[in-house]
Amino acid sequence: MSEESKTDLRRAGVVRPLMNSIVPNEVHVHQGGSRARSPNSVEPLLLFEQVSKWYGSVLALNQVTLELTGGITGLVGANGAGKSTLLRMANGQLKPTLGRVSVRGTDAWDWKARRLVGYCPDIDAFYEDLSGRRFVWTMARLCGYTRAESNRRTEAVLERVGMSGRADRKLRGYSKGMRQRIKLAQALLHDPELLILDEPLSGIDPIGRQELLELFQALAAQGKCLLISSHELEALEKLTNHVVIMARGRIAAVGTLQQIREMLDDHPVSVRIDVDRPREVARLLLGLPEVLAVDVAPKLGAGVEAIVVKARNPKRFFELFGQIAVEHQLNVRQLEPLDESAHAILGYLLGGSGRT
Amino acid sequence: MGWVSAGLLGLVIMWVTVMVSRGVWDVETQRSRLSDKQYRPSNKQDAKRLLPTSRYRDLGGGGENRPLRAHELPNPLNPTEDALASLVLSVPHAAMQDEGFLKSRKFMKYSRYVVLLVFTGFVLPLFTLTYASGAFGTERESRSLVWLMTRPIPRSGIYLAKYLGTLPWCLAFGLGGFVAVCLAGGDVGREALTRYWPAAAMGTVAFASLFHLIGAIFRRPVVVGLVYVFFFETVVAVLPGSLKLLSLTFYARSLMYNEAVSAGHPGQMLPTMTEAVSSETAWAVLALAPVLITLLGMWLFSRSEYRDDE
Repeated sequence: MSEESKTDLRRAGVVRPLMNSIVPNEVHVHQGGSRARSPNSVEPLLLFEQVSKWYGSVLALNQVTLELTGGITGLVGANGAGKSTLLRMANGQLKPTLGRVSVRGTDAWDWKARRLVGYCPDIDAFYEDLSGRRFVWTMARLCGYTRAESNRRTEAVLERVGMSGRADRKLRGYSKGMRQRIKLAQALLHDPELLILDEPLSGIDPIGRQELLELFQALAAQGKCLLISSHELEALEKLTNHVVIMARGRIAAVGTLQQIREMLDDHPVSVRIDVDRPREVARLLLGLPEVLAVDVAPKLGAGVEAIVVKARNPKRFFELFGQIAVEHQLNVRQLEPLDESAHAILGYLLGGSGRT
Repeated sequence: MGWVSAGLLGLVIMWVTVMVSRGVWDVETQRSRLSDKQYRPSNKQDAKRLLPTSRYRDLGGGGENRPLRAHELPNPLNPTEDALASLVLSVPHAAMQDEGFLKSRKFMKYSRYVVLLVFTGFVLPLFTLTYASGAFGTERESRSLVWLMTRPIPRSGIYLAKYLGTLPWCLAFGLGGFVAVCLAGGDVGREALTRYWPAAAMGTVAFASLFHLIGAIFRRPVVVGLVYVFFFETVVAVLPGSLKLLSLTFYARSLMYNEAVSAGHPGQMLPTMTEAVSSETAWAVLALAPVLITLLGMWLFSRSEYRDDE
């Protein structure tokens, strides 16, 4: 990788995959755009500074530096990558072995920091004999609100998560989706600036999922910061373009999916091109230095004339392809990158790093 | 664990009821140690048999009692020796006529076996362990503790609130069990209840603080608590030397012992408690221990991490 590329990468807040170059002290900034922090500026909402966490001899987080100031951030990574440890540190359940985690300048371990944080855990454990309404009300009381204020906030959050009319049944009788909504409701009770949501879409039906996605977007529009861990990358892609990718206790990349994709310029991109005279086009493309391989008979369906090109440096490849298309008057019906999804990027970032 | 404790309490109550109905702790109705298979008099009957009138009657072969032993035989040919023997052999009967002695012995026997050994040694710690360790233990098992840990309240406050919330239950079941065991004991049981309930209450509070701490720290609080009850409290509390000063049971028993002695019962009738500390010391320790243990627990809990996937 060239020095220029590295500079681009750092500017975009993206770190190279682990297997190529590890930059442990890299700062990853997400603030819905670039923002330089001055000494007098407001403390970042969530700040991880060189945070490492050991469980005995197992290193769960390795010198993680991360700053969030707003918007929706997706947290993705394979099992054991350190996502849950990161989330638990952010809401003060765990202490870092090294480094510091702060919420608006207050140590996340300090209970006062939890006033700013709403946490929706992944676990599916409740006080099963309580009704949903009573559970949320109890959580409100534990936030220190009076009975009247607890009632008001309970009704407000239940309404917001769409459980207002169904919250009088006991929790043990709830479906997975209803339980997720109740978990979300209790996280919203004290109107926190930072919402930490661990797999919030798990078990929710498509309609409910759409409702929740809209709710998350509405919360972000209100200025709240959402850190969402999810395995459902497609859903996450609909929600946010900004992701933190974790692998083996490190942050492998931070940024928009497009930024990450572009920064991975030496990783071959697969592009489907529906075009007439595919063999001739394949011959032309193979003359380009960026093209690594061309599949002239991809399994795309009967009668489909198309090729799948594997090329590195996508930006350059698309420029050259455009020139060829104009010069040779190619009838391009469709041009589709096949692996710009979060899945493909994650697969590349994590796959090359070995087991996670 | 709750059902096990309740079952244990039920067994203790049954045992006390049977023992009281058979007069096991009443010296008058106890069987004489010298009885044989054919003749099993009570102590009272045996004491009466040793009186000079009975011995002389039996000598003439007119009695229905067991044949006299060599040292019990009247010796009219040596009046001095016979008078001395009559004096000594009349002591048991004299004791049987002493209402104060009979009452004290019955009370102290009941105190020793039922209150000090069985209730204070096993039932009370197990009852308290059940409820005090469950405050965090059940939440840890059901993984619902995360809801408390993520509230904007100090961890030490969670610990203290849990303790204060558990304490009434521990007192209700600990003292309730004590009342039940005492009522099963009849008159002596009622006297024991009147004299010992403060010590039982203080012991409950102290044990509750200790088992609450164990529940907050250990992942298997019941196992740790049982090991503590059966190996530490049971063994250490009766060991000679100063090691017993580490046992909470020892101070509760000391309070009970001092209360019994101050009520006029002979302390020698509780031979295991002759090294008891003064009431003032026992009160101070039992009052300070919960405070210190709770403060320690608050400090430890405020520093402990919680993982909701454990």
